[in-house]
Amino acid sequence: MSFEIRSKDVDVEAIMRSIRKRIEEKRQGLYTDEEIREIADHRLDAVLDAHEFNSDFIKDFRSDPSRWNFPFAADTVYRSSRGAVGQALELVRRVLRPIQKLFWNPNPMIAALSRQSDLNAYYVHLLHNLAVEVTKLNLEVQELKNRALQLQGRLEFQARREKTLEEMVVYRDVPPPKEPRSGGEGPGSSGGGPD
Amino acid sequence: MVQRYGLEIAGGAEYHCRLIAEHMAHHAEVEVLTTCAADYISWANHYPEGVETLNGVRVRRFRVKRPRDTARFSTWSDHVLGPTPMRALPVSDTKAQLRWLEEEGPFSPRLVRHVEKRRDDFDFFIFFSYRYYTTYHGLRAVPDKALLVPTAEDDGVYRMAIFPPLFRMPRAIIYNSVEERSMIEAASGNHQVPGDVVGVGSALPPRLDAEGFRRKHGLDCRFMLYLGRIDENKGCRELFAFFRQYREETGSRLRLVLVGKPILPMPQDAGIVHLGFVPDRDKWDALAAADLLVMPSRYESLSMVTLEAWWAERPVLANAHCEVLRGQCQRSNAGLYYATYDEFRESLGLLEADEALRRSLGRNGRRYFDEHYAWEVIERKYLDLLDRARGGRAA
Repeated sequence: MSFEIRSKDVDVEAIMRSIRKRIEEKRQGLYTDEEIREIADHRLDAVLDAHEFNSDFIKDFRSDPSRWNFPFAADTVYRSSRGAVGQALELVRRVLRPIQKLFWNPNPMIAALSRQSDLNAYYVHLLHNLAVEVTKLNLEVQELKNRALQLQGRLEFQARREKTLEEMVVYRDVPPPKEPRSGGEGPGSSGGGPD
Repeated sequence: MVQRYGLEIAGGAEYHCRLIAEHMAHHAEVEVLTTCAADYISWANHYPEGVETLNGVRVRRFRVKRPRDTARFSTWSDHVLGPTPMRALPVSDTKAQLRWLEEEGPFSPRLVRHVEKRRDDFDFFIFFSYRYYTTYHGLRAVPDKALLVPTAEDDGVYRMAIFPPLFRMPRAIIYNSVEERSMIEAASGNHQVPGDVVGVGSALPPRLDAEGFRRKHGLDCRFMLYLGRIDENKGCRELFAFFRQYREETGSRLRLVLVGKPILPMPQDAGIVHLGFVPDRDKWDALAAADLLVMPSRYESLSMVTLEAWWAERPVLANAHCEVLRGQCQRSNAGLYYATYDEFRESLGLLEADEALRRSLGRNGRRYFDEHYAWEVIERKYLDLLDRARGGRAA
């Protein structure tokens, strides 16, 4: 701990202010608990712009695929949406189908668009899963960053402790200076005693 | 007058009442009026009706007419308070609130009738705990002779429409803390009622034996102590989560020792030790052996355990959401407090690491206790308030 509080002047409110300041310092550049919780709650928002992409998209996509993806089948190109007239029109198209096949072959186009429709569905699921994984990784990185900070703090503390202990050992190795005798016996006075 | 009374009843307000009764018996003739109940949930009759003497104090008990029906009480609580007590609103449906009060109990109309009938036999009635049937109806029967010790917590109940008029009725109010006083004054506008912040002292032991406690319970480690009911309402679930995270993150070897009846399942964790219910003597020795006391409850009108820890010169780590505890820590300079896990970690880390700080906080706590909660101080304040009430009545 980096606090140093003299035992005589304890001021609980000041200690609490120091604690809060320390917490703030630790959090600088990091997410708060609430922010992390928010990220976890909004999976897609964490990696995609919420304005451009709705986080509920995958739910909508699964519940109503025809709204988002174009379901392309072999007879899609011959369908009509004009009610009773449309049904008559579809009948005429079916009758004339062998004739129009004399002019061009629609099968490759039908196969390609049908595959594209399936691919769209796969892409949506893939992107969703990627978003989930990236969010999880973000959280994990966050946790690791916090842990690294803690370890760094502990390492610094241990380094300081080691240095202090080393200094103590150095002091002990140095022989203590001898106490001067009464009468002030200095180097210059050796041999100066009474004969 | 109190909802239940007995030597083995450990509830805050009831114990508070017993200590006050025993100490005031040195200055006046004291009789305790109470019910035959021992359990605060069912109010089932446990003690025989009639008079007995406990620690030199005459106790007169009255039967509870109908034990609490918890399902019905819960239905009425939802009706008048909303799904949680914090949503209490001063709704005008006083009829429903009075019905709720009856369901809460202890429903003992005989006790209330006795107060009415024998009002002239007593100079004063001191009512403990505002929120019970016996206090509400008893105080209304003798408002000119009543003193109230509300023991109110910030749970919203005091804001119900039936209570503010009650706070304006007695001759004097004896509060447990500055925060409780402000809360009640703000809700009821009872500024004209004389009052003082008094609280309660403790039954102090002649000496403390930390080593004896460690030997007896095989504790050879440093620990943080929790004393009291181990209940979610007391903040214990959060305490377990915070403490386990603290140990995991910091690698601390500090343990959490809990003394008291468990309502919550105890977590299986090497760092958490539950000793169950221990004799009073051991409680004091536990305080002496602990590094600090933790008080995780959000709702306290006065934490006697906190005051006892301060008498034993131990610092306290309290829940900052409880204004009373936070205020006491600040005024005494004897405890730290936390509102979030980060604050819990930093505060506990500091207390664990800094012995000089622990000692200083502990000494401050003892000074605070001696200045405000020594029995001579408490008794003097009660006698002064009784004098003021007597004077007010004569005028």
